Amino acid sequence: MRPIFLLLLAACSTDTDTGGEGHGPIAEGILAPLGEPMPSATAEQLATFKRGKEVAKRRFDSSTGLGPGFNVSFCAACHEKPVFGGSAGMYRNFFIAGRVLEDGSFFFGSSAGNASGVVRINYAGAAYDARPAVPDSDNVFAQRNPIPFFGMGLIAEIDDEEILRRADPDDADGDGISGRPNYDRGYVGKFGMKAQTVSIEAFIRGPLNNHVGITSNPLSDEQRARLPVDSSTGSVGLLDRLLGPSGPTGGASDPFHGLSAYAQAAAPDGPLTDTDAIPDPELSSDDLFDLVSFAMLLGAPPIETPTGDALAGQAHFDELGCAACHAPRLQGPRGPVPIYSDLLLHDMGDDLADGIVQGFATAREFRTQPLWGVAAEGPYLHDGRAQSLDDAIRLHGGEGQESRDRYAALDAAAQAEVVAFLLSLGGADQATTGLLPPAAPVPAAGEFGGPATELSGADLDAYVAGRERFDHDFGVDDGVGNPRFNGDSCRACHFDPVIGGSGPRDLAVMRHGIVDADGSFIVPTIGTVLHRETALLGTGIEAQAQVNVYEPRNTPALFGLGLVDAIPDAVIEALADPDDTRTPDGISGRVSRVDGGRLGRFGWKAQVPTLAEFVRDAVATELGMTLPREDGLTFGRIYDNDDVADPELSQADADLLLTFLSELGPPPRPTPADADAVARGEVTFSTVGCDLCHVPVLEGDRGAVAAYSDFLLHDILPAGSRGIEDGSAEMGEFRTAPLWGIAESKPYFHDGASETVADAIERHDGEGLASREAYDLLTPAEQADLLAFVESR
Amino acid sequence: MRCSVVALALLSACDSQDTGDTAGPVGAEWTEVYTSDTTAMSGVWGAGPDDIWAVGGNQDVADVRHFDGSTWSESAVPDGTHLLVWAYGFASDDVFAVGRGGSVLHWGGSAWSTLDSGTTRDLWGVWGTSPTDLWIVGGEVTGTWPLILHYDGTSFTEVPVETDQNQHGGVALFKVWGIDGKVWAVGDLGLIVEWDGTRWVEEFGGPFANDDFVSLWGNSATDVVAVGGRGNGRIARYDGTTWTTEMPDAMTGLNAVYVSGDDAWIGGIYGFTGTYDLASGDVVKDPLVTTDDVHAIWSDGAGHAYGVGGVFAEPYRGFLIRREVP
Repeated sequence: MRPIFLLLLAACSTDTDTGGEGHGPIAEGILAPLGEPMPSATAEQLATFKRGKEVAKRRFDSSTGLGPGFNVSFCAACHEKPVFGGSAGMYRNFFIAGRVLEDGSFFFGSSAGNASGVVRINYAGAAYDARPAVPDSDNVFAQRNPIPFFGMGLIAEIDDEEILRRADPDDADGDGISGRPNYDRGYVGKFGMKAQTVSIEAFIRGPLNNHVGITSNPLSDEQRARLPVDSSTGSVGLLDRLLGPSGPTGGASDPFHGLSAYAQAAAPDGPLTDTDAIPDPELSSDDLFDLVSFAMLLGAPPIETPTGDALAGQAHFDELGCAACHAPRLQGPRGPVPIYSDLLLHDMGDDLADGIVQGFATAREFRTQPLWGVAAEGPYLHDGRAQSLDDAIRLHGGEGQESRDRYAALDAAAQAEVVAFLLSLGGADQATTGLLPPAAPVPAAGEFGGPATELSGADLDAYVAGRERFDHDFGVDDGVGNPRFNGDSCRACHFDPVIGGSGPRDLAVMRHGIVDADGSFIVPTIGTVLHRETALLGTGIEAQAQVNVYEPRNTPALFGLGLVDAIPDAVIEALADPDDTRTPDGISGRVSRVDGGRLGRFGWKAQVPTLAEFVRDAVATELGMTLPREDGLTFGRIYDNDDVADPELSQADADLLLTFLSELGPPPRPTPADADAVARGEVTFSTVGCDLCHVPVLEGDRGAVAAYSDFLLHDILPAGSRGIEDGSAEMGEFRTAPLWGIAESKPYFHDGASETVADAIERHDGEGLASREAYDLLTPAEQADLLAFVESR
Repeated sequence: MRCSVVALALLSACDSQDTGDTAGPVGAEWTEVYTSDTTAMSGVWGAGPDDIWAVGGNQDVADVRHFDGSTWSESAVPDGTHLLVWAYGFASDDVFAVGRGGSVLHWGGSAWSTLDSGTTRDLWGVWGTSPTDLWIVGGEVTGTWPLILHYDGTSFTEVPVETDQNQHGGVALFKVWGIDGKVWAVGDLGLIVEWDGTRWVEEFGGPFANDDFVSLWGNSATDVVAVGGRGNGRIARYDGTTWTTEMPDAMTGLNAVYVSGDDAWIGGIYGFTGTYDLASGDVVKDPLVTTDDVHAIWSDGAGHAYGVGGVFAEPYRGFLIRREVP
């Protein structure tokens, strides 16, 4: 870096007693617990912050504009850890695809339309498959782990010159560090892994469109003027704009001189449109305003005053040269901002190079990631490949190689001190191994997430430990991926409305297969699960060419599975009528038989016989992890080909997971708003024949199971439908979906494509056709009663 | 009404109303001479200093303005004409304009008439060597393949870019231009194609040719400039053999280029205008006269340059700016 920068650093490094923070004073009123607004926010801004947070949490569906191409259904899906506004585990990694032509030019790939290279893994519509194909021409694949938003408004306020003065693109001082800016629309880029974006508004509108399929129009200049970071074009005055100096490119003569200092925080962009049935823009301008405001108001992570090991680590941090890129402070209009980044691009070496070119950033270059809040923002690096800070440091290459080598040469105690210092940069007390906040209480029996019966002592401890294992984000180093995976934890897909529940539509497991000319189902080479993630960085996930059937599988809630597990086979078998001869009613429930004739009862196709095997199957199939062999259990995987020793999940951990799910109570029934309507609906439920499959109660060894399912297979798709065979279930057959907890398990149907119970009813066909037709003949009031009853279960 | 180059009050007065009754001032800096709060302007071309056309519109109607040397006035177009994007001509009574939805108009000296282009696709650029050798390019940003039409004075013929001549994957071409027997079209995703007499041949502009090229102009077949870039500006040069693209620091996306002698006049988003020195590659930026996007620049060859632009979204607004050419 340039000498002036070194001098500044030297000056800062001695200023440890000013403001109580290790690398010098910090602007007042900017630090806050992760996810909280800056203390300096006004009452009006706080109201906006609150509204914006609700927009971030809003679940979009087909009625509000989700898709047609999408990866997630809400903003906070990717910005959830440890609180809304943060990052996420590797299960929320997304892919960027591109291609390089013969002249070296890089282009983003398309995915169900233009999405700036973002690969969309879900599609709701007829134009593409449910998993849109990646174009054959794409030859570059990179992953991105979601980026935290904490302190974003403060970054927006930092003047371009403050960033540019640290740049040394040609390494004129010969220190091996040659940071250079990225640019976006003429301004210095500040946001994104490659600093490819200058505008918070654009940084929100783009991902909203690319990942959620939500369209928006740019904010008006009047709205931009009201943002927490004034982003209007005219706030300094028209005369300034018109008479601003001209001259050669850049510097003080830049033609934008005289524009609002922060105009770049909401740089203009065009309206966005998509092809679904919802009129554009799908996000109102008021909602966008609130969302951008929320991001701008998120406080900077609460930097601690380093003491003890952290203080020693700070000295190492400086000695190692970390601060050459991770600049402890950037000067903002409020004062020093403790960002620990220079916001410049640096060559990070061959191993981290991802092939993606964005603006001026080459395939090897990345923006220095701010270190504030790093304690709670793992996994680390642009693709989340580092599970720990130690890993992340050791993976630095290129311009970071020398510092990395110095770190590696430290003794273990000194290395721990460096990490202790990094952990002091905010968020340590909010860090979790998953999403549950530290010391999260156990709900009481009868509440969502509580045990089936009150637990105490060792049983409660085991339940808590099992819940932690369920919530725990595992990493590739733990064995996640074979190499593909859907989640890095069990909770990754099961969190609605609480841990152990169902999941949003975007987390549906994609099944796929080949149906040949004869109508026979052929399992693809990789199996019927087309995963969403892979541990093999630099590769994509593509279906084999012959695949012609895709079937999303909605994430089912896991409440009460221990009770279901305890239903004797005979109880279920007694309900079967495979030939429709026992009760000739058009309903021919069939027992799922798997693995040597055992009765299957778990999964959309009742393809798994026991809860223990359901756990093993999920660990193997969804997480890509191996487990120890267990006598009598045929699901799960006991070895794989990655570099992690098998078994990757210990027997003790597997037992804890099973304990948690065995004890996780059934969903509580909501208190109906109209009990009379529910009572009438219950009668109608039976009258139209719903209860022929959705049997209200089965007796089990642990008591009555009011799941509203017979746990049998029924053909419920229209004749000729193609789908996925699984176990003994034919393409059109599905296990009767339990209805308990349905009000809290939206969306519905096996593919998650029904946003309402009414729509799910209307999609019943085959064996469910008669009941659906009977439902259609009901009066609207009767239908409402029936729906009230179902949603009260 | 005349607008002063420095008077804030007068400029403010110009800012939000149609002002079509004046040639506007002529000075060393750009000055607004026409503004609209209902339509945006996209293209400008003239047969001479006293015969200039500016075209544009909004989602519902086209907007055509004509300058007769003293006054800008509205020129009526046939009903059903979509937003017009570009204009090019050969004489005062032989001007073409193309636009959205397949619109092609011809000015025969007294009125605009509609030509049946045979397409409803969006048309972004028009250029030709004569009224019987006219090229029109287009396509949709949500489409799959660019469109090229040739007009022989009687009918339109599609001359497609062949499948092996679009490695860039461009779905639209935005402008076409030629000189000395050469013709190029540029467009989406940095796509450059050259007409070799029988087909369009893809050319490559190097690593920075990875974003849209929006416009091109030149001095000769060995001195052509294309500009583009939606976020960061791109300037591509053709030396008769090779295209080379640069991406200057702190340069916004560019839409407009007009080459005159040693300089290229360029314009882009945020109202950017400036001069690109063809010899040194230096860019000198002009003072801002608007913060809306500049879409086209053209010079009358008699000491005046014109620029047009605006906002192509609700609420539409447009402008026409003018300055002296040093």
